[in-house]
Formats: sequence, structure tokens, C-alpha cells
Amino acid sequence: MIMIYPINFSLALEDDPGKYINRKAEVWNLFYRMMTVAFVIGSVVSGTLIWLVWRFRESNPKAKKTKYEEQGKW
Amino acid sequence: MSEHSSWPEWIYVGVVVALLIYVGAEAWNIERIIEHIPSDAEIIQVAGQQWFWTFEHEDGTKEIGELHLKKDHAYKFEVVSKDVIHSFNIHDYVVLVDAVPGRVNTVWFSPDESGEFDIQCREYCGLIHYNMRAKLYVDDES
Repeated sequence: MIMIYPINFSLALEDDPGKYINRKAEVWNLFYRMMTVAFVIGSVVSGTLIWLVWRFRESNPKAKKTKYEEQGKW
Repeated sequence: MSEHSSWPEWIYVGVVVALLIYVGAEAWNIERIIEHIPSDAEIIQVAGQQWFWTFEHEDGTKEIGELHLKKDHAYKFEVVSKDVIHSFNIHDYVVLVDAVPGRVNTVWFSPDESGEFDIQCREYCGLIHYNMRAKLYVDDES
């Protein structure tokens, strides 16, 4: 996406008579791109949290006792 | 915790920050493109008042409750209000700008399809706001 951005940028402000941007397409394209990013971020954040809770629960077979638990101090 | 590896956290933070930077840059760029008014755009004076729209073309032609435009021409709307706050909206062309007393707000678009389209008020402006509508007629250039 970092590669694509400057290409858009350079084509942006042409001012030829009769060649106008399609406002409707630009706005709705932006909306769908933003929705895609929003869902990606939502997936990454919530997916990470879900994995974190699942992986580090006490009952997970891979769970290790903390040093306090090993010493019976908790 | 000195043996703890933190690279997954940094990748996580990097991905999220990169996406947020992309969101900001892309939204800014599209807004900049959309707001750039073509130099050959015809100016239409739009006035909102309870509860109808009036339009005045560059040649002095006035229209009430309907607006006739040509396909594939650029139009710049200069939108004012004569009483309360209204909002000028052509839904099918994603044109939306507030009409505020004492201010001239601008928005532009170029119709790419001929036909009839609805113009409506998009800001609650009193009793008959629901029926503060006008008709946009886009004609093929002939």
C-alpha cells in the first residue's frame, strides 16, 4: 500500500476540461477501503486478545507455574 | 523477565501503526482530490429556506424546486441559507454540504448519468423538513 499511494498522489489533480473525477466512485471506494482496514485491525486486535486469553489460561497444558506458585507463596 | 522476547509485540504494534498511517494518508488524499474544483466549473447559487431550494445559474436563470444541469459538465454549488441551518444533499451523487446562515459553503460535482435525481434537505430544519425536496434533471448535451 505504501507503493500504491504515491501513484494515486501524482495522478490526483489533473485539470483537463471534461475529464472530471467520479466523486461517487472516489467516496465509496474510500469507504470500502476504510472498512477493509477497520476489519483487519479489528481482527488483529481481537484475534490477539483471544489467543492471549486461550494460551495463558491456567488450565492450558503448556502453562508454567510462576515462581511464586512454585514456592507456594501465593 | 530478561530472557523474554518482545519481537511479536513490536510486529503487532508495527502492523497496527502502519494501517492507521495508511488510513490517515488515504483519507486525506481522497478528500484533497474531491475538494479540488475544476477551473471550468459553472457556478450555481443555491439558497435554502424553509422549506424549499432556489437555484441561480451563471447566466441569471433562476429555478425553484428543480435544477437542470448538463451531463459531463462540472458544477460548483455556492450554498447559503436564508433562515436556519439546512443541508444540501444530492444523494445519488454523494453531494452533501450544510447551508448555514451568514456563510457560503461550496461543493462541486459532475453528473455522469442523465436522468432525474432527488435533491433533499439533510438537516432537520423545522416542521416540513421532511418535504424540503427538489428535483435534479440531468440532460444529455445536444
